[in-house]
Amino acid sequence: MTEEKKLKEIVGAGNLSHDQAILGEYSEDLSFVPKVRPRYVVKPGNVEQVQKIVEWANETLTPLVPVSSGPPHFRGDTVPNVGGAVIIDLSRMKKILRIDSFNRLAMVEPGVTFAELQSELAKAGLYAYMPLCPRSSKSVIGSMLEREPITMPAHHWDCTDPMLCAEIVFGTGDKLRGGEAAGPDTIEEQWKMGKAQMAPMGLGQFNEHRLISGAQGTIGIVTWSTLKCRFLSKMNRTFLVPSEHIEPLIDLSYKLLRIRLGDHLFLLNGLNLACLLAKTSGRIEELRAILPPWVLIVSFEGYGELPEDKVHYQEADLMDMAQSCQIEPKTTLAGASADELSVILSRPSEEPYWKLRLKGGCNDIFFLTTLDKIPKFVSAISLLMCTHRYPVENMGVYIQPVVQGTSCHCEFNLYHEPARQNELDNIRWMVNEGSRDLAKQGGFFSRPYGAWADFAYTGASEAVAMQRKMKKIFDPKGILNPGKLCL
Amino acid sequence: MSLETYKHDMLRCTRCSYCKWIPFENFRKSEFIKGCPSVAKYHWHAYSAGGKFNMALSFLEGRIPYSEPFLNAVYKCQMDGSCDVSCKSVQDIEPLQLMQELRMRCVEDGQVIPAHTPMIDCLRKEDNMMQRLKADRGKWAKSLDVKDLTKEKAEVYFHAGCKYSFDEGLGHVARDGLTLLREAGVDVGIMGRAEMCCGGRAYELGYGGELMKFASRQKKALEKAGVKTIVTPCSHCYQTMKVLYDKVGQKLGMEVLHITEYLDRLISGGKIKLRKPVPLTVTYHDPCHLGRLAEPWVHWNGKETKVLGQMIVHDPPKKFRRGAYGVYDVPRNILNSLPKLKFVEMYRIRASAWCCGSGGGVKEAYPEFAIWTATDRIKEAKSIGAEAIVSACPWCTQNFRDTIKETGEKLKVFDVIELVQKSI
Amino acid sequence: MELTEREYRALEDIIGAEYISKDLAIRDTYNQVWGNKLVFGEKWSPRPVAVLLPGNTEEVQAIVKVCNRYGIQFKPFSSGFEITAIGLVSEKGIMLDLKRMDRILEIDVKNMHAVVEPYVSVHRLQLEVAKYGLYYGAVAAGPSAGVIASSCCHAGSGQTNVFAGAIERNVLGAEWVLPTGEIIKLGTAASGDGWFSADGPGLSLRGVLRGHCGANGGHGVITKASVKLYPWYGPSELERSGEIPALRAVKKVPDQYKVFVISFPTQDNGFDALAEIGKAEIAYSDYQIPLPPGGSLCEGNDEMWENMQKLDPAAAKVFATMVVVILGANSSREMEYREKYLLKIIEKFGGILLPPLNDPMVHAGMFDASMFSFGSVRHVFRLTSDFFINPCADGSEGLCKNLHKAAKEVMGPYWSNGTILQVGSAIFHPVYENYTVGSHHEDMYMYDPYDPDSLEGTRELIGKTVDPNGKFRRLCVPCLGGGLQFEPVNHIHETWGPIYDNYDAWQRQIKAALDPNNVADWGCYIPPVYP
Repeated sequence: MTEEKKLKEIVGAGNLSHDQAILGEYSEDLSFVPKVRPRYVVKPGNVEQVQKIVEWANETLTPLVPVSSGPPHFRGDTVPNVGGAVIIDLSRMKKILRIDSFNRLAMVEPGVTFAELQSELAKAGLYAYMPLCPRSSKSVIGSMLEREPITMPAHHWDCTDPMLCAEIVFGTGDKLRGGEAAGPDTIEEQWKMGKAQMAPMGLGQFNEHRLISGAQGTIGIVTWSTLKCRFLSKMNRTFLVPSEHIEPLIDLSYKLLRIRLGDHLFLLNGLNLACLLAKTSGRIEELRAILPPWVLIVSFEGYGELPEDKVHYQEADLMDMAQSCQIEPKTTLAGASADELSVILSRPSEEPYWKLRLKGGCNDIFFLTTLDKIPKFVSAISLLMCTHRYPVENMGVYIQPVVQGTSCHCEFNLYHEPARQNELDNIRWMVNEGSRDLAKQGGFFSRPYGAWADFAYTGASEAVAMQRKMKKIFDPKGILNPGKLCL
Repeated sequence: MSLETYKHDMLRCTRCSYCKWIPFENFRKSEFIKGCPSVAKYHWHAYSAGGKFNMALSFLEGRIPYSEPFLNAVYKCQMDGSCDVSCKSVQDIEPLQLMQELRMRCVEDGQVIPAHTPMIDCLRKEDNMMQRLKADRGKWAKSLDVKDLTKEKAEVYFHAGCKYSFDEGLGHVARDGLTLLREAGVDVGIMGRAEMCCGGRAYELGYGGELMKFASRQKKALEKAGVKTIVTPCSHCYQTMKVLYDKVGQKLGMEVLHITEYLDRLISGGKIKLRKPVPLTVTYHDPCHLGRLAEPWVHWNGKETKVLGQMIVHDPPKKFRRGAYGVYDVPRNILNSLPKLKFVEMYRIRASAWCCGSGGGVKEAYPEFAIWTATDRIKEAKSIGAEAIVSACPWCTQNFRDTIKETGEKLKVFDVIELVQKSI
Repeated sequence: MELTEREYRALEDIIGAEYISKDLAIRDTYNQVWGNKLVFGEKWSPRPVAVLLPGNTEEVQAIVKVCNRYGIQFKPFSSGFEITAIGLVSEKGIMLDLKRMDRILEIDVKNMHAVVEPYVSVHRLQLEVAKYGLYYGAVAAGPSAGVIASSCCHAGSGQTNVFAGAIERNVLGAEWVLPTGEIIKLGTAASGDGWFSADGPGLSLRGVLRGHCGANGGHGVITKASVKLYPWYGPSELERSGEIPALRAVKKVPDQYKVFVISFPTQDNGFDALAEIGKAEIAYSDYQIPLPPGGSLCEGNDEMWENMQKLDPAAAKVFATMVVVILGANSSREMEYREKYLLKIIEKFGGILLPPLNDPMVHAGMFDASMFSFGSVRHVFRLTSDFFINPCADGSEGLCKNLHKAAKEVMGPYWSNGTILQVGSAIFHPVYENYTVGSHHEDMYMYDPYDPDSLEGTRELIGKTVDPNGKFRRLCVPCLGGGLQFEPVNHIHETWGPIYDNYDAWQRQIKAALDPNNVADWGCYIPPVYP
């Protein structure tokens, strides 16, 4: 049987494509990874099909590249590194399998996007934690697996949050349901018994969920996952704290994080705030001219049994803090309304995706560090930009405290016009090489996409060795997204 | 009692290792939370009370013979009882009693430390542990006009103890103590040359027979002297005569007091007036033998029984000695009464006090360990800003002074008696 | 078995004669711990051939390399308070007593983490970080539990899970000597720019470090770890009173905390209320505790029994569902809100605040017991000598309820016939992280290993709970590296793995990959191949 026929037998003829145009869409993205065309795109509908595809890939030694989000892709992790690969596009698996109000969690398949999930959760009085205005095609599971930071650090206990338990098909084709999800029963039987696939702490003396996090699909393919949700806000108060300089906002962030005050809590530079608020390039330019250089966004979400009480006291506590720090939280700035922003934050990005609104193109540099080092990195990247003639004013900055403030996600958004080659070349250099400089200064590229994998592992040769050992266990024939990370 | 008596406890030691620390409820500063000097210095679990339970059980079961490490673990221990307090904060077992029995078994089996032998030989020949002649005992009180209880009667017997009797550097403290009592009008006398060792230090080394012997002799001599109260400035003698004699069935029929207890009465009763200022910032070191080890002995003769299926209780109920009822407040009251004196507490105090390092035969056999232990205590005293460390036991005082001399630390060392004397 | 002279010298050359011993007396103090009688049939587990006291990572590494050269098994531990710490599977095993590695290396106050060595205990770290307004969560095993042991190597659930996380959730970095002798540093620890993240680059090797439980030394030695710290609203030093330590407690609960001891009419109400309190995001501590009748352990068993006999029998019933909640707040407004919310929940689930259990003295004791785990050792060991846990689990309340139901059914006959002691409800049930990742549940019981009936009965009971075809089959894998799991004896991984998605097959491969010469003692981890 030909390979194509075999694959069609697994997924159904209508779910396999070798159309050149379609293959072209998967052969590159908005990152700078080399273009590599896959052989096929297959779209399985359930875990059994995924397992069969993986088994087939083992037999034929065909690389598989898992994809769950829709385009545009930005990171390069969904573009094959090697020729002859098959894209295993999980977007057809779109079921919201369960919404559990008591345990505040949802169980979704990989094709479910935030927009789809939030509307269903709202009916149950719940809300999914999100990264900052994800694109409408972003897969919930994709986001969690990538360890994208959520915007509510007080709720972010651990870097893998909000992901809970997952059903994983490893590179061998074996399936494992992690944490509380494992056992002799089907998931439905578990539900009947009261189990909720909630505790992600690892089934045995290893944690399968951590091994697939940040792995860019090189260890296993997730066919469903539970995620923690919070109560839907019945009301909220959002504040914008403007500043000429970033340092006072860092200090304020530390204070807020220490006492766990605030739900949404992050910093943006004026440009990024403008990109969120406005939808057109022209309007963004107008706004950015009047917005302050830096803004801290903090919100108090009212939910639970005493929503007003919660918001009321938190707001009052913020005002007390503000007075002692001599800062002034505002509900409006020239050009910006906190209420408007609050609505924007509550849902995925409207089209066009906020990062593409200014110039049509955007590439990000991001890494983990601690808040106190942010000013250093802001200076460092500005210097790099200057030396490479990239206009600093076209750079967005997004600082997201994570893991309850023990570290932070530092993100620089390099906006550009994709059609302008010399601009693109500059950006490419910044993303691929300039970021190396930031790594040398202590930026931890915990999610090493594309060229970052070349330097992210510097000084971590033992980590490389161990990751390769894990790869040999969970994907001995190396068929899952080969060439990514250090694998 | 024998080693086998404690097999129940050996089996039930869980290896919680609480014996290595002061009770967790008493932790205050993380540099000063260790309780057991032995395991703090030597690290091996065998050096802890838990380790002794393990060793004793293995020994009883024939799994291990005597060996040098075995004996090191047994004897490199001040028998200070910190482990006992900590263990009993979570358990109903007796680590210190077990360790005492273990030493006695070692001695019975001839497993003794060479450094201890001359002391015991002297005790047997000369009635003292100081390797001095009996004939020289009493010289400390030379020219003091005080009753000789071998010839006269008095209400109170002042027992100096071997250390004060023979240590020329410390003898003045005993003199001062006695003088304070006399000048307060106390009807007090001494035994002079006839004073004998209490036997307590020998017992601690494992020589149970010596304690019995001296307890019996002491009891007879004191009954003959007809005294009503014994006062001693030595904490070790105090603990021996008050607690150990009772333990071995030789309870004295008279009141046994440490000099601080008597002084406290005299001060409260207005018989001693503290007038002169003592402008010093001091801290008080609780001697083990005045504090946790000085809790009155509790006799119990009963059996273990069970309730609720498996809960271990006793019939009749057994009161465990957990270190709470030693003498802690009295010396503090005295110090706080001294005009202009500023009193500051260390972090490990009362039943959780860190040992001075001197007890259990350690000073004689392992002097560097004794100094090491005292060094930590001095560090603790300095950390709270004390200019002086005050104790109520000559063994503590001596070891602190030796340590300061060796380490060059700047800290004054006093006995409570000395500060009271300054204030008269 | 003994080490050859050559093997001994090779180890002694690394560590110095002072810190290695093959003396029998020394060795026999490293194989006696609670639970041994149950698992090994006697007070002793296999005697190590030598014990070593390494002082630093380099010595540990060198020792491990010697072990590889000569085929000697090693087992590291810190407090050594469980079979999982000092139980050896091998006849030729050495113990690595990490007592000398006791430094707190760094406290990053701003970024709320601390880097410690293995012998740093939970309470020592709590004492130290309180100076900076920070806190490290209580571990139920007690204040002497090792920070690294609980976060990286073993289990680590505790009374403050709801606020301060627990088990594997707080690790921000680690330095790890692998069984091959290589050293790996996880995450940012490798870069030298701070120990603030243990995940990445790429996939998180924290997933190899541990899961629900750690490897108990079965895949090397964790020589340093960075752990997450939490806000502390109390003073830097707490004043306590009471001469007998068992009766000692804070003089007063700090102003920014409030303690509530709540009784619920049914167990299920209690479980639901615990979850609801978690979801309210108000609690600093939120758990069900097996309070003894009378609410007090007293200073000793005899005193406790005397107290219990004075208790009104009707009152004893309410202890079945005693829940302790501690609210901590940064401001008076925050406290007001939290208290108001809590009282609503109490009312909703029919809870009551019995005055005798809510007087200041009881609250002070509960504060200490909850924040610092004082009293846990007293509770589980003093009463009968030993304790055990029915299969414990971390999961949703639904799972926990089923677990409790099964545990009660199985334990019932053994309570009735006096084989085991039940005091109070015997449930330890803290909620995790505002009830976002479930709760922890254990049904504890106490037995006397030196009472033949109690021992036999307990063995029989355990046999039922670890029977893969028994009542717990559908609920969770028992022990899972925690409790008294000792694989050569109770074969948990081997018998339960195939029922639970074959997790054991992966774990064995991990072991084989990390430890090709099988020198890290696997007794409380997993062998590469079942014997």
